[in-house]
Amino acid sequence: MEKKKYSIKDDFSMLALLIIPVGVAVNFVGGQLASILKLPMYLDTIGTIFASMLCGPWVGAVTGALTNIVTGIANPVNFAFIPVNVLAGLVTGFLARGKMFSVWWKWIVSMLIMAAVSIVSSAPIVVLVYGGVTGSGTSIITAAAMAAGANIWAAFFGTEGIFTVLDRVISFIICWLVIKVIPPRTLIKFGCGSNYIKESK
Amino acid sequence: MVKTYTEKIQIHKSNKLAGLYPSVKFWVVILYTICTFVLGTIHLTDIGLSLLLIPWFLVIPVLCIASGAFGKCFKALKAVALIALIILVVQSFLVPGGEVLVKFGFVKICEKGLKTAISLSFMIMDIAGIFVWLFQTTENKEIARALEESGMNYKAAYVFTSTLQMIDILSENSKTIMNAQKARGVETEGNMIVRAKAFFPSLVPLILGAVIGSEERVLTLEARGFSLQGEKTHLFNLERSGAEKAVLATAIVITILVIAGRIALWVL
Repeated sequence: MEKKKYSIKDDFSMLALLIIPVGVAVNFVGGQLASILKLPMYLDTIGTIFASMLCGPWVGAVTGALTNIVTGIANPVNFAFIPVNVLAGLVTGFLARGKMFSVWWKWIVSMLIMAAVSIVSSAPIVVLVYGGVTGSGTSIITAAAMAAGANIWAAFFGTEGIFTVLDRVISFIICWLVIKVIPPRTLIKFGCGSNYIKESK
Repeated sequence: MVKTYTEKIQIHKSNKLAGLYPSVKFWVVILYTICTFVLGTIHLTDIGLSLLLIPWFLVIPVLCIASGAFGKCFKALKAVALIALIILVVQSFLVPGGEVLVKFGFVKICEKGLKTAISLSFMIMDIAGIFVWLFQTTENKEIARALEESGMNYKAAYVFTSTLQMIDILSENSKTIMNAQKARGVETEGNMIVRAKAFFPSLVPLILGAVIGSEERVLTLEARGFSLQGEKTHLFNLERSGAEKAVLATAIVITILVIAGRIALWVL
């Protein structure tokens, strides 16, 4: 098969433009649902991951940025986390283009990469901008670890690390379940959609 | 008199501050933020606390009251204040370093902790507060229109407005789906694994429905000439309240005064 060429302009097709609002809304609703079900995770990047798996890294990055801008309208603390969400979109998108979501062992590798990127990118923001606590559930654990004498960076990586990996696994599984049931005639319209269609011989 | 549809969707604000042109409001936000950073570098008292940030915060409630939207702003400010308070407490009690200032039993406040606590929490209060004012006095429709007016691509402006609508639609849908799945026997209470399992059947149909729906929306938009090149007309237009120049001038003068004061302190 010929190697597909990508350009940023082609990435933003009409369908991709309409997937961005859906992605942002899914991020928002996912976060809401996680707090209704009292899960100790944010789960607010499902839409970003979904958009970048289907439409590539740049659409994912826009989805991520817009999510934090829109949630920032209600709670301006979120503005500082724009880079985290943008990076999550970019990394997932490039992984999707590199066909890293085709075999099960590639999934695990890509999930770990995604989790690592988001921990590494959010750590400096949480520590430098907010001094280690943002008022969410996990920050209480971080505060407790800090009180016990742990270094602020170590405390953050320890607590946030476990939950971020779990967060990414759940988000990814949801996106995968959705993509699997989207009919091929719809999938083919998305930039990276053809990667998920099984060729019948 | 019966109003036509185009008259109905216009926004009229009697308050001069709340009715400011959105881009003027945005400039006020930027100038205020600059002042916050400048004021944060001024250290008072002998251990160097940036205490000036605290009276600077009073500008925000004054602005909110003058815009006649204090009730709305207060709710959003409470959320910001809670986070700032947590940061204040955690930082001042937990970060060691420097001299010990106060000591009750096992709790002690150190010099370095108190310093970062005050500058960090009030910096966040100030910057987040001014954004609260911007977004609580401006409707989303106005922001999108102002973005387009300032030269942004109409497609990007559409994505912005459509996002805000989509959030409402999908939150409604998610409630419906949750109830439907509960009726089918999905448990939403119990231990963490049970609750985590309930997450999947509620979210997967939601995303799937939204994706299939957006495919149809593409057809609808194309049929109405969305991607057509050419001049676009607007049903909704922005109004100016008349106080734009005065407000902008005041903001610039205050910023210059703050920066001049800071430089004077350096020189002296």
